[in-house]
Amino acid sequence: MTARAPDLRILVCGTADRGDDGAALAAISHVLPGLPEELRGRIEIKRCPMLDVTDLIAIGPGESCIVVDTVVGVEPGCVVTMSLDDLARRPAGVAPRSSHALSVDDALLIAEAVRGTLPAGTFVGIGGKWFGYGERFSRAVKAGLPTFGAAIRRSIEELLPVAR
Amino acid sequence: MGHGGDLRFQVENLTRVEGEGSLHLRVRDGVVEEAHLAIFEAPRYFEALVVGRTPDEVIDIVARICGICPVAYQMSAVHAFEDLFHVGVHPQVRALRRLLYCAEWIESHALHIYLLHAPDFLGYPSAVELARDHRELVAGGLRLKKAGNHLLSVLGGRPIHPVSVRVGGFSRMPDRAELDALRPSLEEALALSQATVDIVNGLEAPSFEREPRLVSLRHRGEYPLNDGRIASSDGVNLRPSDWGEAFHEVQVPWSNALQARAADGLPYLLGPSARVVLAGEQLHPLAREALARTGALESIRRNPYRSIVARAVELVHASAEALDIIDAYERPDAPAVPVTPRPGLAAWATEAPRGLLFHRYVVGDDGKVAAATIVPPTSQNQAAIEADLATFAPAVLDLPMGEATHRLEQLIRSYDPCISCATHFLDLRVERAT
Repeated sequence: MTARAPDLRILVCGTADRGDDGAALAAISHVLPGLPEELRGRIEIKRCPMLDVTDLIAIGPGESCIVVDTVVGVEPGCVVTMSLDDLARRPAGVAPRSSHALSVDDALLIAEAVRGTLPAGTFVGIGGKWFGYGERFSRAVKAGLPTFGAAIRRSIEELLPVAR
Repeated sequence: MGHGGDLRFQVENLTRVEGEGSLHLRVRDGVVEEAHLAIFEAPRYFEALVVGRTPDEVIDIVARICGICPVAYQMSAVHAFEDLFHVGVHPQVRALRRLLYCAEWIESHALHIYLLHAPDFLGYPSAVELARDHRELVAGGLRLKKAGNHLLSVLGGRPIHPVSVRVGGFSRMPDRAELDALRPSLEEALALSQATVDIVNGLEAPSFEREPRLVSLRHRGEYPLNDGRIASSDGVNLRPSDWGEAFHEVQVPWSNALQARAADGLPYLLGPSARVVLAGEQLHPLAREALARTGALESIRRNPYRSIVARAVELVHASAEALDIIDAYERPDAPAVPVTPRPGLAAWATEAPRGLLFHRYVVGDDGKVAAATIVPPTSQNQAAIEADLATFAPAVLDLPMGEATHRLEQLIRSYDPCISCATHFLDLRVERAT
């Protein structure tokens, strides 16, 4: 029996042991159990410490995608939601993570060039403040987690209408 | 613009290299009087951070110096401590460390060839534009890189900054089935690597030749990764712990990174070209065959732009050796042997993707590090890069600024510098004064 391909892939970025960088992992672990069974069965979760272009290329035709991550340059604890298309084409660009890793917009644009189109989907991020060693969150991110979770859930429901 | 009078040439932001730096050229009457690769990325103080730490802590800390070559930092450190503590590791541990290093070479070399360097040769400003016109080429490079990252995840616990290496062995050894599962992606990586050699050998390289002094490890039975003697094209032959007998670091006013020089004060070159030239006879037979097919050994030695071919040959080597190690793997009873720390001087050099990486630690009576010296390959290559820039620059000074900048950046990218490691990129400024 072949497993059914997911309808939605959620790429959960960040690492749990670096403070606010683990916010996406924490949020998704709260969102998933609250989803209807029917929705959960149509979702595949992939952990990716850093968003990798191959993860975006691997998204099949007809699949949607949500990228969830902690971001800098946003007020700590504040939640931002935007389409992957808008993220890839932000006029101001996206800050590079390392010159040995593609910036998020470059990763999206290379995925678009290789796939032919960008995966349809959404980016949901929360502003981070503290990225030191350990699993504790900054006060701002801790306070923002319920809003972050709600934004992720809203994106899932928008991309996976129940009456499908 | 003519060559008369004084010219100052400055590239403010070099792109597609790791870290932050700039290039400053001062030219008088067509002769480059100064070529400074200025590294202004802030010092990162890792050598101070490891003081007071145990060797196993040091191995995890130094991995953080670089997100692309953490294994190299772990390997130079772990070998240094094991040499001091007289630790003999299980042969399968030794083999698995080579496998871990192969993973790093694959992901690092694939990244550099396809995303950082190939756009230069094919006339694209970045990998994004390259991917639009050469979809399959970039997709193949990304699959190659992923094969390395995947291998690193299985052996090291995660795709960057692995956490499994410890003094005496590993914290955990994979089982046979885990390694067997890697075969398909590595078999594809080998085929992609062999194709890569042919692709990059066909790229037109700018005409530029010089006689470099080359330095790498050399081992009588294997291609250099973790072990061997420090050798040079002019006769250096040292234990990997004795780097300081033939080389030293100097501070230059325009760089936050120390530069390394040979005993005579002159520069030397590390990395894939040096290894292929000095140790090419130890390449895996499939890599030797690929190198022979190119007929490029001499141009690899003399023309820095041809380092892309050496890097591709090493991709073949790493992929082929990785498969061989997996085939021969037998999980040992214990992942590590017991270790008894002792005070003294721990020092070792291994071959990072960019070249020889030397570590030296003073271990105190309490078994903790009292002092550390880390000499990354980019620090060692800086002086050679500056010398090559000084030699090459006159050929491009009459070109429009944008074109000259591009040619000089391409030359710098040929060395795959990692400025974050060295301080741990390029901003070209040409100052033209009359």
